Amino acid sequence: MGSRWTWRLVALPGVVWLSVFFLAAFYAVLAVAFGNQDTLSQPVPHWNPLDWNVGYVLDMLDNFTSGGPFWTVSLRTVEFVAIAVALSLLIGYPVAYFTARHAGRWKGAILLALILPLWINYLMRMLAWINLLAPDGIGSDVLHSTGIEWLFLQVGLLDEPGGWLNGQPITVILALLYGYLPFFILPLFVAIDRIDGRQLDAARDLGASPASAFFRVTLPLSMPGILAGAVLIALPMFGDYYTADLVSASTQTNMIGNQIDEFMRQGSEKVTGAALTLLLSVFLLALMFYYLRTTRRAGTTAQTT
Amino acid sequence: MAHPKDRPGITRRQLAKGAAGAVAGAGVAAGLAACENTTTPVGADTGGPTGAAAELVVPKPTGPAGLPLPRTDNSVTWAITDENKPVKDGRSQEQGPLRVYNYADYFDPTTLKKFQKQFDTKVEVATYNSADEAIAKLSSGSVAFDVIVGLSGSNVVDLIAHKLLAPLNHSYLPNLEKNIWPELADPFYDRGSRYTVPYVVWMDGIGWRNDKVKEDVAGMDVPWDIFWKAQAYRGKVGILDDRRDALSMPMQRDAMRKGVRPDLNTEDPDVVNKAQSDLSALSPICNPKVTITDYQTLPEGKTVLHHSWSGDVLAAAFYYLPKGTKPDVLSFWRPEQNGVVQNDFLCVGRSTSRPVLAHAFLNFYLDEKNAYDNFVNFNGYTPPQKNLDAETLIKQGLIPKTLEQTIIPPDLFAANQELLQLSVEGERVWDDAWSKFKAG
Repeated sequence: MGSRWTWRLVALPGVVWLSVFFLAAFYAVLAVAFGNQDTLSQPVPHWNPLDWNVGYVLDMLDNFTSGGPFWTVSLRTVEFVAIAVALSLLIGYPVAYFTARHAGRWKGAILLALILPLWINYLMRMLAWINLLAPDGIGSDVLHSTGIEWLFLQVGLLDEPGGWLNGQPITVILALLYGYLPFFILPLFVAIDRIDGRQLDAARDLGASPASAFFRVTLPLSMPGILAGAVLIALPMFGDYYTADLVSASTQTNMIGNQIDEFMRQGSEKVTGAALTLLLSVFLLALMFYYLRTTRRAGTTAQTT
Repeated sequence: MAHPKDRPGITRRQLAKGAAGAVAGAGVAAGLAACENTTTPVGADTGGPTGAAAELVVPKPTGPAGLPLPRTDNSVTWAITDENKPVKDGRSQEQGPLRVYNYADYFDPTTLKKFQKQFDTKVEVATYNSADEAIAKLSSGSVAFDVIVGLSGSNVVDLIAHKLLAPLNHSYLPNLEKNIWPELADPFYDRGSRYTVPYVVWMDGIGWRNDKVKEDVAGMDVPWDIFWKAQAYRGKVGILDDRRDALSMPMQRDAMRKGVRPDLNTEDPDVVNKAQSDLSALSPICNPKVTITDYQTLPEGKTVLHHSWSGDVLAAAFYYLPKGTKPDVLSFWRPEQNGVVQNDFLCVGRSTSRPVLAHAFLNFYLDEKNAYDNFVNFNGYTPPQKNLDAETLIKQGLIPKTLEQTIIPPDLFAANQELLQLSVEGERVWDDAWSKFKAG
């Protein structure tokens, strides 16, 4: 009995933290989004759900219909995030796999190298890229002399030589990829590292080729890690606005986060901004639930097999 | 005051909440009256609890909290109320530190040091990134400052409606009448300079690298057209990241083509939406960046053609050029008439406990020498000083000929238009159009 209370006490700070900084904050967004504004254009939150005014949220929903002003920017956001996550998988999986399976005594060093960039603030790293990718920057030179620039020009992902910062979608996607990749690799590494080696031995003993063992054992078992990593990076990417702002600033690369930033930072439409925030949260919540359901199912399948 | 977006909620209850919203501002809205070129002070809590917006005789939209919107043909004297009186004459200077709220990079550090030395006080500068941010933070009461710098005519009603300013006592501001252009020593948006004095003046124009852009921009019939002909500079073009400045640019272009005077404070959705679609048409042509960092990107060559504030282009030449790049590679053009002209304010914060020191700060920056140093050593934005003129500066070699137009003489102030605060509905028209443009 006593120990039960001890554990509850241990959980208390976390619960308080979440209630204050997540639930209360989220409810404030709700109250503003379903509220109104005064004659000074300042939001007037409606705290009582019975008083909620759905006008702003409905208006915002209208904006998302096909052909509405936010249709393009939402599609663009989904596209940027999807590509960035796919690239993270493509680049991150081999890294996580190698680190977990073949790095040997270098494992710790590689993990450290993965975490090390995070010691420098995200904004600082993005600002550094601006100088690297400038027409006379070192990064630009390297991309040019290695022929990577040529490749991007050929497939039409880059408008002109050295034009990485000229409002290119590819630059924003690569910047997102760069910024969030470590957060994808780490949970994936943990998932792969946890896979019982004996299961692979068994697969090989039963005649599976290395490739077949990978696709039929390792990959399915690392699925929870892939999903966790994908969710971990997709959620913040959907709300990201400064990456696009810093490496492009063109309206053609603006994401839904930029729209929220626009409404919140300037102008008379804070309530509209809150409505947009709410819709984005609902969308992300749906993604999150999908993830939880999938992992739970993966968990039960693993147990039953 | 039913809000267009106020619809019955999920309970289908008839919402009086739209009106409740208005009530929040009603305290300020009470007892207002205004007429053409009124000298009757407005903005005071003199009347009863009933809304006075209905009593307004001006057939013009009213601003936030039912206050009048100052226009050149509708000048406004803001009331001084009993609970917010100016500091009395002849007080002695208080102890510092003086807390100042300003945009970043908007004071010359050396001039600021001079003030601190001269008045034996410390100055603590906190910065904001946009006028809206400043208004929001100041009115939330989460920050308190002795001096507020950088807000302009597009926020003047907000400043009064939110009661963010302390009225000024001119006996501490002898430099105002002595040095400042008469039009700005008693401006239409604040007759008698009761709450504001001007800091600097600027215009919207075109900044470009004349070593990279081949066209003779200033020589074009309608120089604004360059943005719609900028295919060659794709990705290296910039538009000001400010809804009023940016959307008024295609309006100026239209008017210039037709030879008419535009109303850059229009609230007509058709005009604003047309400006938005013109601006959006730039994307396939030159994929412009939407930024206010031209004072860095132009000298660095990351952009070569930019919709710019005059002061930023001059500041670029003064301060941000990489070694080996000459200032005369930068050019600036602005219209002679029907363009955007703006001025920023120096104000004393309502909650100041150092009113005399704050006034001293204002007076310091209205001083000819200090204003001049602040201008040419760093800031690049023209102070509205009577004795400052472009030709002298060019003769002295301080400003290259190509940047002559970054200096704003007083006669241009009347020929052009300030972007002024709109009605609540009007702001929304511009905001909607802007968010559409930003969504790409």
